[in-house]
Amino acid sequence: MFHAKKPSSMNGSYENRAMCVQGDSGLVLTTDPKPRLRWTVELHERFVDAVAQLGGPDKATPKTIMRVMGVKGLTLYHLKSHLQKFRLGKQPHKEYGDHSTKEGSRASAMDIQRNVASSSGMMSRNMNEMQMEVQRRLHEQLEVQRHLQLRIEAQGKYMQSILERACQTLAGENMAAAAAAAGGGYKANLGSSSLSAAVGPQPHPLSFPPFQDLNIYGNTTDQVLEQHNFHHQNIENHYTTNNAADTNIYLGKKRPNPSYGTNDVRKELLMWSDQDQELSGNQAIDDEHRIQIQMATHVSTDLDSLSEIYERKSGLSGDEGNNGGKFLERPSPRRSPLSPMMNPNGGLIQGRNSPFG
Amino acid sequence: MTMNHPYDDFPHLLFSNNTATATSTSSCVEQHDGISLDMDWDCDFHNLIESMMSDKGATTESPPLLPCYHGQEGIFNSSSTGSSMADELDHDVEAGESKGLRLVHLLVAAADASIGADKTRELTRVLLAKLKDMTSPNDRTNMERLAAHFTNGLSKLHKEANVQRQYGPHQHPDHVYDQVDVMLAFQMLQNMSPYINFGYLTATQAILEAVKYERRIHIVDYDITDGVQWPSLMQALVSRNTGPSAQHLRITALSRATNGKKSVAAVQEAGRRLTAFAESIGQPFSYHHCRMDSDTFNPSSLKLVRGEAVVINCMLHLPRFGHQPPNSIISFLSEAKTLNPKLVTLVHEEVGLMGNQGFLYRFMDLLHQFSAIFDSLEAGPARGFVERVIFGPWVSGWLTRIAITDDGAEVESVASWPLWLATNGFKPVEVSFANRCQAKLLLSLFNDGYGVEELGKNGLVLGWKSRRLVSASFWASCESSE
Repeated sequence: MFHAKKPSSMNGSYENRAMCVQGDSGLVLTTDPKPRLRWTVELHERFVDAVAQLGGPDKATPKTIMRVMGVKGLTLYHLKSHLQKFRLGKQPHKEYGDHSTKEGSRASAMDIQRNVASSSGMMSRNMNEMQMEVQRRLHEQLEVQRHLQLRIEAQGKYMQSILERACQTLAGENMAAAAAAAGGGYKANLGSSSLSAAVGPQPHPLSFPPFQDLNIYGNTTDQVLEQHNFHHQNIENHYTTNNAADTNIYLGKKRPNPSYGTNDVRKELLMWSDQDQELSGNQAIDDEHRIQIQMATHVSTDLDSLSEIYERKSGLSGDEGNNGGKFLERPSPRRSPLSPMMNPNGGLIQGRNSPFG
Repeated sequence: MTMNHPYDDFPHLLFSNNTATATSTSSCVEQHDGISLDMDWDCDFHNLIESMMSDKGATTESPPLLPCYHGQEGIFNSSSTGSSMADELDHDVEAGESKGLRLVHLLVAAADASIGADKTRELTRVLLAKLKDMTSPNDRTNMERLAAHFTNGLSKLHKEANVQRQYGPHQHPDHVYDQVDVMLAFQMLQNMSPYINFGYLTATQAILEAVKYERRIHIVDYDITDGVQWPSLMQALVSRNTGPSAQHLRITALSRATNGKKSVAAVQEAGRRLTAFAESIGQPFSYHHCRMDSDTFNPSSLKLVRGEAVVINCMLHLPRFGHQPPNSIISFLSEAKTLNPKLVTLVHEEVGLMGNQGFLYRFMDLLHQFSAIFDSLEAGPARGFVERVIFGPWVSGWLTRIAITDDGAEVESVASWPLWLATNGFKPVEVSFANRCQAKLLLSLFNDGYGVEELGKNGLVLGWKSRRLVSASFWASCESSE
């Protein structure tokens, strides 16, 4: 159920995108709007030395470290955040070495360790005891993460079903209304009817799709909304037909295989709204299939470009790629809801020995 | 840290990043409170109208400024005109800020006038007309859009208060959004903010821990709405019970007579959906509906099974919830105690509804709360839609609520629900590490700026910057075992 994907796609692509500039003082800064300092191994070693010289991370202050290190271009801001991480026992991870899966998961494990340590104020306890506690809590936290994802998904699926049910009801009503009042009375309902058409009539009002569909299924509201708005804005200009459903299916380039049924209409709509820039209107069915496959398998490049579009549209300046704290994917509609950290084998049915209640 | 003083930051109300605003706002309120009764309304009021009408034609791009209220004359001083001050502001940002500031002043003035004696009715009308003129739900800044929703809500109150409605129809008629829109917007809100899920998932986790070894779980839900809270619980139950020893889940949803027939239908509909969902994932489940007549809860109307663990779930005043009169909540909670619940989950918004604060205080608190929520929402193409469909009715519902509370009909001697529980035979149930951890994880999915705060041992609060938004706390009846 969890589609094959590159676990560290976010990080990986981020690294590819971000250009780096090496200053004359040897500092490496990214060229992002907000330049971040890259803590190279050498720089970090100098930092560690400075901290040691100053009597440990709790005694050292950004100011004193800056003085001891004496690296040009290094600011208090950089040192402050790095010292903070250092104090919390986190090894700055992303900046070193490769970005393989292993690295990624270790990095997240570090984050967790840091969270655990800071949340319970255990820093002063003896190391052994602490390590065991950290291990236990680390495990617990990983479990929580896995469960949280599933819970959010279950909820999303449920809401989606309500939505579809309501759409179906509306579609039925609109059909009747259209038949009764050919045209006049129908117009008022166009907004909702276009939406219902976008979501598509469901054969079984209370049927739930298998959980496997969840990834696509539970996270499509934005696309549906776009359809919704699109029709709100354009319906008067573009569509004189009474049958909004037909129009939608046409826009969605209905796939020749009818056995996929209504869900697929939605997926196609989703694709249409996502891909319109790339599709540019008249690509062959082959391309469409390619995209569908990409969507289905969450190929990272495609996803990244999608999330880029999303970011641009939404004005989010999220830099999750570099933000260790965000190791769970946000439930944003255009990203895979599964994070790299999620257990690739984790199904819906978990072991009954789970410590989580 | 305690619930008793949730408004310590009151002087920083509304714009914590703008101290000038905060001080001028609070000072003008005080002054106004002192002088409102002696004021010659007619005179000042006509000045006000004139000064307001005169800048009516201005474009929204460079809004003319209202008189600055920092003088000794109080809110309704209109001796200085705004035009001279407008010149001082060159930058768009500043103009936006000052417009926001001005809107806050107008809103507070309108709210204050709306509860005044008869003579202030006309003033309310003018202020609201002015506000309507200045705002639209499609405006650029958060404050402008929020002000539009507040204006709408106040107008509704004003309209209801005016029995002989002598004014024309509303400029912004109430939209009754269809279910699809509401559901869609609600789902999008979940993607934009942890606001709802914080309460739902925290409660769910606490329930799961409390009933870990129970074979039968019976949840009595005070307000089930669409039942969106429960699929995640079912999923979790399924994932930890495989095989024949599955835990049986029963939910009894209450419906209140005050919310009419519609609510009964909705509760039944939620039951059908939840049953279907449970079936789809293989969770043994049954659903009951229990009517609360005249806002009193009668536990004997519940179907209880021997040996089942009872959980009381109480979600208060979240968006899309119907009216929840405090006396019905009290009745529910105090009667529920006789069921010897294993756990009581209480989730409520951190808005001052209880205690004996006046309407204006609550109004400003509400404005503060919502400006924090607006600030915290993630941007996105759907945001305007969510604001219209969810926040419009939500704000309006809250305004009605605080107005009703102010009427004295439902005045409480209770300062807060957690306090009420603590003093009415409930003992705190500790929040687990897993639950805190889950809350933090949830927040990490959203904007920086959210935070989880621990509230004693048994509560968690979701905050946005310095403002608390929603709190969840867990309790059990003192008699219950363990």
